[in-house]
Amino acid sequence: MNMAIAPHIRPAHELLQRWGVVVAFAILFAVSTAKQGAEFLNPENFRAMLNSNAPVGVLAVGMTLVIISAGIDLSVGSMVVLAAAVGVTAMNALIASGTSELSAVLLGASITIACGTAAGMVNGVLIVYGKIAPFVATLGGLAAFRSMSLAIADAGEIRAQSATLFSALGRGGIPLPYLENAAGKQLTLSYSTVIFFALAIAAQWILSRARFGRYLIAIGANETAARYAGLPIASVRLRVYALMGLFAGIAALIQSSRMNSVSTSQLGLGSELDAIAAVVIGGTSLRGGAGRVWGTVVGVLILAMITNILTISGVSPYWQGAVKGGVIVLAVLVQRPSNH
Amino acid sequence: MLRAHSVTVEFPGVRALDRVSLDFRAGEIHAIIGENGAGKSTLMQVLSGAIPATEGSVMRGGVPLRLNHPSDARRAGIAMVHQEINLIETLSVADNIALGHESVRFGGLIIDAQRQHDRAREVLGALGAKIDPSQLASSLSIAQAQFVEIAKCIASEARVLILDEPTAVLGARDAERLLALMVQMRMDGRAVLFVSHHLDEVVAIADRVSVLRDGEVVQSFERGTNGALTDVAGARVDEGVLARAMVGRELGSIYPPITLETDDHASCRCEPAIELVDFGAHGRSRGINLAVGAGEIVGIAGLVGSGRTETAEAIVGLRERVGTVRVGGVAVRFSNVRAAMKAGIAYVSEDRKGRGVHTTLSTIENIVLPSLDASTRFAGAWIDRAQQDAVAAKWIQTFGIRCPVPQRALSSLSGGNQQKVALARWLETKPRVLIVDEPTRGVDVGAKSEIYSILANLARGGLACLVISSELPELIGISHRLVVMRHGTTAGELSSAQLRAHGADEHIMRLASGVASDKDQTS
Repeated sequence: MNMAIAPHIRPAHELLQRWGVVVAFAILFAVSTAKQGAEFLNPENFRAMLNSNAPVGVLAVGMTLVIISAGIDLSVGSMVVLAAAVGVTAMNALIASGTSELSAVLLGASITIACGTAAGMVNGVLIVYGKIAPFVATLGGLAAFRSMSLAIADAGEIRAQSATLFSALGRGGIPLPYLENAAGKQLTLSYSTVIFFALAIAAQWILSRARFGRYLIAIGANETAARYAGLPIASVRLRVYALMGLFAGIAALIQSSRMNSVSTSQLGLGSELDAIAAVVIGGTSLRGGAGRVWGTVVGVLILAMITNILTISGVSPYWQGAVKGGVIVLAVLVQRPSNH
Repeated sequence: MLRAHSVTVEFPGVRALDRVSLDFRAGEIHAIIGENGAGKSTLMQVLSGAIPATEGSVMRGGVPLRLNHPSDARRAGIAMVHQEINLIETLSVADNIALGHESVRFGGLIIDAQRQHDRAREVLGALGAKIDPSQLASSLSIAQAQFVEIAKCIASEARVLILDEPTAVLGARDAERLLALMVQMRMDGRAVLFVSHHLDEVVAIADRVSVLRDGEVVQSFERGTNGALTDVAGARVDEGVLARAMVGRELGSIYPPITLETDDHASCRCEPAIELVDFGAHGRSRGINLAVGAGEIVGIAGLVGSGRTETAEAIVGLRERVGTVRVGGVAVRFSNVRAAMKAGIAYVSEDRKGRGVHTTLSTIENIVLPSLDASTRFAGAWIDRAQQDAVAAKWIQTFGIRCPVPQRALSSLSGGNQQKVALARWLETKPRVLIVDEPTRGVDVGAKSEIYSILANLARGGLACLVISSELPELIGISHRLVVMRHGTTAGELSSAQLRAHGADEHIMRLASGVASDKDQTS
């Protein structure tokens, strides 16, 4: 029963609540630098880290908005694999039918994103009009969307039939002047990283400056009060799940383009947990009603650094889950609101 | 029995309680009164262990208690009945009463349901409440739930009972029964401590009254041997004296002058702003015919459960409705609050914290929420903060809303100021018709009077107002006309003259309770 915190030390606790994620980031950064030194600080290492975490980052950004509306989306990983499978299959069919590679790739990419959005809308309709709890509705999606993509490819891999064009998005980037890797090759800022940050900025802007974001917060904080205030609850909730689907479609495009193929049994597996973890580490409460996208971005980076440091130090991948789990629980412990 | 000794509570920047010393004796009802923000809630929170005192202590039998958590207070025999109902809706009444001290067998493996049921029946019986212990808490009316809350405290053998605004949500009849119950608990030798804005209740039952102002005890009154409440000099104390002690100044009438003349009144009725024809909330009320003219304040009286709130909610599309609503002569049907808002109808809920405002959002965000479209540009993509801040500042100034930092969460404001925010957010939608449900629930005398003049001014400006309230003096004080509801339909109407006549309150009560056939009681 030693939970009560005397009023005069509360500000310190609140400070930790607010900035804890930044402190954690700084500590991890320092530890990584101390342990790996040049290897960690190598720009190529950062590039690779950001690049490989961009898809989960995109999902986490969308998830932040969903969670702020007091919802949850467990189906994001399955939406990614379904959107990628449908998109690449469509693209291959177009190429086979003699469509030019460029238009096939563009159409395939559009179909990937549209498919993700459509899957998100299915979730939204079930939640808003079917009045099914978000947890349950998207748990259904988690199973169903994955199963559909398995059926499309017989649980196997779908190889993209575009030789180089399709993979340009996932593998390419913007050249960074003055930065070269050890081999003297110029470094690039990958497109996937640019997309991740651009979407994060857009989402943060929605949250702090757009009406949609204000409504998300109000609905998440108290849906009944929001109804009494005359807010368009159905449309806002529908739109946030559709938006989540759109983000999943974008993540799917990055992933399938990078691999130039879709492994229907592996792609996006467990991404929902990573995305939710990043949101929670970033200081957005699962209760909804408040949150921050920039925190989620830091959360994604923290998870990325943990994986990075464990991998570089040669810790068995089997142990990585335990470390991540510990970090998630710790983040919630530090950031939970005080009793008063 | 319980003593607060020089209790001081400091929050960052505020001294909420300043060396408060009070005695709470067994067999005594001790009322704490004061304006909102005077420190009453803080004092109760300290006594019930919800917040620790910065300095000073709470003592029982001369021994300081360690109150770091509500469970510490419970162990010390101190129980608190909160304003909000804290029952677990999915459990039965008996389970709720036993919660935390279940009768168990085999070391907790099995709950002795029969014993809990018997115990609940016994306690409820002693309270004179006819509530079936096996019914679910979700099926209780607010009044019944309040009785169960008290039963919970009594079943836990609490010797000190703290009640926060116990009658705030009750109709007159139930409030009377609750007061009788408090008197009975005093006779059982318990110490009863209660906070109330209803000064008539305080004068009627309190043995001792302490007045808090700005965190200090400024005055105390005691019931003399002759049975009357008196001050230190032995002079008799009435509600007026208490009200003055609370605000520290003379109070005029808290009701604004009624300006609408009977002639105007007649003209209003020719062109009603809103008209209900054979209207009702599906399954809850029916057959209501009522027209409210621009500039008119029409009161709606009735016991709790008479269907007043449900009817209002049906008007603005929060409930399924029957019958017709006409706004400006045109029949309308709203499927949600937004549609009603666009037609110029606003509804301010009775449940301020749960429905009326967003306590975690800032004062600014609260005020602009329903009318946010007006502060956005580019199809909602950009909220014009300068514009939204200006809107909020305008209302903060017009209503004298006391909030030092408008960017801070609304929960830091007093009830009266939150109520003004609830009104402001709807007035910013520029309604033609305003429906206010319990406009002054949990609001202190000073803020009450301000809210009344706000409503009177709005009506003078041409707004049609429907005011639902359980406080008769309030309805009589501000309404031009009054409708009484009973069992989901109108039981009668009082004209302006009838309202001003002597015995209007009795007339209303008779209509509301159906004279001799009182059936809508706590049963």
